[in-house]
Order: sequence, then structure tokens, then C-alpha cells
Amino acid sequence: MLKYMTRAGLKIAITFLAIVTLAFAATRLSGDPINYIAGQGLTQADRDLLVTYYGLDRSILEQYLAFMGSFFDGEFGLSFVERRPVSVVIAERIWPSLQLLLASTALTLALAIPLGIVAAVWRKSWVGSAVMTLAFLFYAVPNFVLAVFMILVFSYWLNWLPVVGNGTWAHFLMPTIAMSGLLIAGLTRFTRNAMLDVLGQDFIRTARAKGLAETEVILRHGLRNASITILSVIGLQVASLAAAGSVVVESIFAWPGIGELLVRSAIQRDYPVLQFGVIAVSIAVLIINAVVDLAYTWADPRIRLGEA
Amino acid sequence: MKRLLQTTALAMLVATPALAQEITVGAANVAPYLDPGRDHSNVGSQFYYNAFDVLIDRDYNKREVEWLPALATEWTLLEPTVMELKLREDVVFHNGDPMTADDVVFSLNRMYQATFPPYQVRARDRLGNFDRAEKVDDYTIRIHAKREEPLWETLINLQQGMIIPAAYTMALSGDPDVAEDSDFEAFSLAPVGTGPYKIAEFVPNERIVYERFGEFWGEAAPLERATVRRIPETASRITALRTGEIDLATNIAPDQLSLIEAEPTMKAVGSATALFHVMIMNQNHEVMKDARIRQALSMAIDRDALNEALWLGKAVVPASHTMEEFGELYMPELETFEYNPERAKELLAEAGYNGEEIVYDSQSTYYTNGLLAAQAIMEMWANVGVNGRVNVIEEWTGGSPAMMVRSWSNPMYFADPFGSFGVMWAPNGPSESEGRFNTDAEYAEIWERFRFSTDIEARKQAYAELMERIKADAPFLPLYRPYESWAMRTDLEWAPKPGHIPYVLDFRAGSIEFASN
Repeated sequence: MLKYMTRAGLKIAITFLAIVTLAFAATRLSGDPINYIAGQGLTQADRDLLVTYYGLDRSILEQYLAFMGSFFDGEFGLSFVERRPVSVVIAERIWPSLQLLLASTALTLALAIPLGIVAAVWRKSWVGSAVMTLAFLFYAVPNFVLAVFMILVFSYWLNWLPVVGNGTWAHFLMPTIAMSGLLIAGLTRFTRNAMLDVLGQDFIRTARAKGLAETEVILRHGLRNASITILSVIGLQVASLAAAGSVVVESIFAWPGIGELLVRSAIQRDYPVLQFGVIAVSIAVLIINAVVDLAYTWADPRIRLGEA
Repeated sequence: MKRLLQTTALAMLVATPALAQEITVGAANVAPYLDPGRDHSNVGSQFYYNAFDVLIDRDYNKREVEWLPALATEWTLLEPTVMELKLREDVVFHNGDPMTADDVVFSLNRMYQATFPPYQVRARDRLGNFDRAEKVDDYTIRIHAKREEPLWETLINLQQGMIIPAAYTMALSGDPDVAEDSDFEAFSLAPVGTGPYKIAEFVPNERIVYERFGEFWGEAAPLERATVRRIPETASRITALRTGEIDLATNIAPDQLSLIEAEPTMKAVGSATALFHVMIMNQNHEVMKDARIRQALSMAIDRDALNEALWLGKAVVPASHTMEEFGELYMPELETFEYNPERAKELLAEAGYNGEEIVYDSQSTYYTNGLLAAQAIMEMWANVGVNGRVNVIEEWTGGSPAMMVRSWSNPMYFADPFGSFGVMWAPNGPSESEGRFNTDAEYAEIWERFRFSTDIEARKQAYAELMERIKADAPFLPLYRPYESWAMRTDLEWAPKPGHIPYVLDFRAGSIEFASN
């Protein structure tokens, strides 16, 4: 385990350095922040003045070193646009994003896995078909369409649910469903297929033959063996949610999260915020991957971390 | 399910501002920082007037200029270049500091003698004629201009002339007796003024909470509290208004108006904003350098048709770069821009235009209807034989030599042609400095008379001459004044005031009320 930890740590460090460098380079290629800071229509002399003030006249190497240095001062630099430490800007938004991510993940797991099992076990009955039809339908609906449709029905027409912000749990319903609709549909399909694969195997027949109850066959032998595939898919899905899935949903529901912040700082060319936002999301993805790796060992004790 | 509905209903009740003295505004954007000296953005301009005062105010209920005493109670011109102002003596800043001449001199000189780069940039284009402010006694100051100034009150009334506390600001960082750049940076996150509302909470790009300031020197604020929160999506703003989560929504596009008008609980108000969407043309591009080509590109555009199609006829199409807000310098008689496709064809033939591609840069969503207008203009160009193409680009290309034509806007930063046309098209101003607009000695001479003549007729004459030059050189075409709308609960009485610069959310006494009260 120690060996695994060391290797995993090293892998994470290298990945992290690559991400950091890429985040720095990509934001620098994205355009001129002065237009967004000071408005368009500046004389060249004034533009030069601001370029110097914001430190954009320094060489790329100097800027890179300053950027790397800003990891150690705890502030991660100063936002060009808001003039606050980047750490403050990002910290304000991590919790709302994380809440939404956790709620969506929980909802996805709670619905998709049972539905997938149901669809597999009753694949020949109308129940299975109904589940798969619904899954297919939701799989085809982009999250912003789902979000706007729910707003129209539950807020505009019925006035049951609030539209903007994250103040109460009622605020969570529509964003969570909008975020997870596609994931539930996707994971239901994957779970069904994984279960069908496993349920066709010899050891399942053996389990039945030795007289185990059907529930136990399905959950202990079926689901456990299908779970490797399911876990990989969950990992990928949750990572994609953390990386990009929340951008549109956060904008629509005025949810003060990281996704919305990233889009805005990209538009405003707020390099310091953008690069650390990208890094924050990358860290989230790394953590999710690590958790999935650990979960593999639970799902299949034959997997020993560090021996790959 | 019942429980769910009950809790939801409860949540809705909490979210609904039942108290008439509080409102919540859903704004498309909230400012990233709050400093009236540094800012001149359309987003920022919304927020200053509630919390800050200028020395000389005006009656914003009407377009005609009527100056009113504010932090200054009287003002006299001692010499053509020196104005003396008597200050109000009962003024207190939101942090409790009394306002004296020291604060006023500090505030003005931070712009007039700016050392902080963002102030330098903002002061140069409009306050360049002011040398310094000086204290005479605790409640008297003098402002020294470099040259005789025809626009004293106008330039003292600017957002950049709002007064901030000296001691408070200097103490925000470093040495409390020295104004450092970091003090002004810190001020923009913790702004303090003298206005009827103090800024109780400010989360950049997210939320501003105004609270009534009990010690305000003038008529008390009508609202106990006003919260402005950012809701970037139009559909979400409108729905939030309908659910009662907000009371007022900004930036409603024209195509949403019928939806709002169909609802008994909502209404919309609007006005043709004191801002032109313009099409700029690069005088120095190889294909564009013959003025006849640029004139033709301009004459080919049926701006009235754009107005009808995109703005339901509610925008205002100008014959010249002139606005009613300019007061005595409003000159609707000038005919600088016209629609004349036949003449456009002739000009293109005379100039020997050979079907070279003309690229029109347009952002996708930055200007309401901007991209649609660009696409319609391509059709209008095609009708006179111009081979145009829209290039959707988010970058500002106005400083690029390769830029041919692009969309832009010219806001009215203050109510004078100098505050609109003047800021962007001055000799050595931004347009010339970016290399797409040329001026010469003659233009500069006319400019001098326009900017500094103290005689109104002389200024009008000079402005007419400038517009003749613009007609001949065709560096830009103002398309229209866009129609900007706000939506609100039916029982809320609020409307943009004609004397303000664009977008100001004025919640002072007499500017907002509830019909049910």
C-alpha cells in the first residue's frame, strides 16, 4: 500500500505540474485582458500604462515563475478584474459547486443502479422496456433543455420552485435534476448492460443451482461482479460533471459555483482566476479518480493497488 | 409529496420580499469592483448614484440641464480658469467621517493629478483640462483648469467626480497618510460614499446590498434595503420576477417584451439608451482606404429597416452623431448619415471596387442584436454589390491593422458631444491611436473650437464642421440608439430617468416607489 501511495503521489505530482503549466500556457494564448479590464477604446499610451500596471509586460518566463510562486503565498495571485486574492474568489465558490456535485452524484447512484438492475432482471417485461425508453429519452436531452423545461413548468407555470440561487434545499431540486438527468440515463444503461453480461455467466448459474435466493444472486454475485464496469463509468461521469457539466446549469440557475466562474473569467481573460479555476477542477478530477481506484479494490479484492 | 410542497411553499414565502421597503434586483451583470473614479463601464454605471454624491448634481427628471447643489452649495467662477465651490457642512460619509474640503480635494486630485494607472487612463480623455483642486478652508475649495473651460459643471458632475473619504481610503493599506495604489485597489472592494444608501455588502460579480443611510444629508432613501444579484440568463431573470424572487430585472431584450406585457403581474419600461451601436471602418486598410468605399458601405445600410426588424421600431436612428441629451448642442438638423443605395453603387464604381471581400467583425452576444444586425447588413451590402462576410470574433480587433469593419458602441459618458463623440474621436484619441482613424491639422483646429469655445454658437458651428469631416471621411456609422428595457412587478414604480447617463439604477427619493403604498 505504501508503495502504491508513493507511486500514486508521484503520478499525481507529475500530472499536476503538467496541468499547471498547461493552464498557464492556455490562458496566456487566449487573448488580451486589458480590453476587459479597462474597456475598449484606449489610446496606445494608456494601454501600455495598464499593461505595465498589471504586470503583463513581463516576459513569459517571469510571469510563469511568479505564477508558480503564487502557490506558496496562499493567495494564488490577484484577480485582474475583481482585485481580490484568487484564493478568496475560488473559495467562495467551491462549496456551492461541491454541494451540487454531491447532490447530483447521490441522486444518480440512488436512481441509476436500481433502475439498471430492474431493466436487466426484467428485460423481457414491459418494466424493462419502460425503464430503457425513459433512459433513452433522457440520454438525448441536453441539460440546458431539461433545465429550461423544468423552469417553465415548475417555476413559470406552477410557481412551486425558486429559480435562482442556492439559499434553501428547494433551490437544489431543479439544478440537481438538470445536472444528473443525462448521468442517470447513461448509468442506467451501463448498469443494465453490465448486469446482463454478468447474469449470463456460469457462476451465476452455479449460485442459483446451489439454491441461493434470487435477490442474493443478483445483488451479491451479480452486482458485485458488474460493479467494476459500473465504477469506471461513474468515475468518468462524475469527473466530467466536475469538469464541465456544471457550467451551463450554474449559469441558468445563477448558482454561484466554479463552472460559472470559469466561463466568466475565460470571457474576461482573468488569467489568475482562470488558471487556478482550471487547477481546482483538475484536482477534483484527480481526487475522483483516486476514489474510484480505491473503490476497485473493494469491488474486486483480486485488484491490488500498486501492482498494475 | 405533501411535505415537499409545504416546504417548497415555505421556501417561496421566504424568498418573496413581502416588505415593500425592500427590493431585490436581478441584474444581467454585477460590477467586479466599485470605484466611481476608475469605472466607466455600462455595468458599473448602474451602481454608483445610490451610494455616492457629486459636488454639483442635476435634475435627472428631464433632459434639459438644470444644475442643482449637492455636496457643493454654491460655485463661482473667480477667473476663467478658477472655480470656487462652497461645500455643504452637514455631510457624513457612510463610515461616520464628516466630509470636509480635505476629502473633496483628495477625491478630485486622485483624478486630476492621478498616479494610480486606472485613474490616469480614465482622467486623461475627459478631465485633461483640470490641473488641480486646492483647499481654501474646511468648507471651501478651488478647482484650477489649465485653459478656459466651457464645461465646468458638466465635468464636475461626472461619475469620476464623486467624492470619497480621504483618511479612510489612505488607511486601507500601507502608510495611512499616503495614497498608495493598493489603497485604491482596496477601496474598490470596500467602497464608502456619502449617498442615501451605504453599500452594506459587496461580493464582486455576484451581489451588492444597499442599505438606507440614516445620516444622509438630503431626502432619505425610500428603500430600507435593495439587493442586486447577478442572474446572467434572461429567461431566469424573467422567471424569477414571475415567481417573486426578484422585483426588478435589468437588460430585457426587445423580443421578450410581449411575454412580459401579457402577464398581469409584470410590466416593462424602457428607453432608447444614450448610446450608439456603431459600425467602425478602418481608414487605413488597403481595401478600405478610398473614402468612397467607406461612404458606400455606410449608405448601403437601411438603418430604419434594422430598427423595425430588430427593435420593433423602438430604437432611434440618428441623422448625425447627436442626441437630445446634448441640450443646446443637440443638432438634429445635421445630415451626416443617409441611406442611399443608388449613390452607394455609383461610389463603388467610381472607386473601382472589384468585389474584394469586406470582413465585418462582430461579437456573438456582446451587443443585443449585434450579430443579427451584422448579418442583415451583409444582405444590404450584397444589394449594392459589396462582397461582405461576417466574422464572429470575441476579441477586440479595433486596434488591428487587418480589421476592416466591426461593431462597437459609443456611450454618452456625459451629456455633451464631447462626452460621446468626443471621447472616442478626438485628435490622438483612442480611434486615431489604434490606427484606424486619421486626423490632420484642420481637424485638430476645428476640434479646438468645438472643445474649448465658451460661446455655444461657436461650439455648434465647430461640431457641424466636424460632422462634415466625418461625412467625408466615413470612419464610422452610428446604427441606432438601442432600446433598453427593465421588467418589474406591476406595483413597482421605477423608470430610467432621462437626465442620467445610460443604465443608472437610481433608487433615490422620488425615483422609486410602490404603487400600493
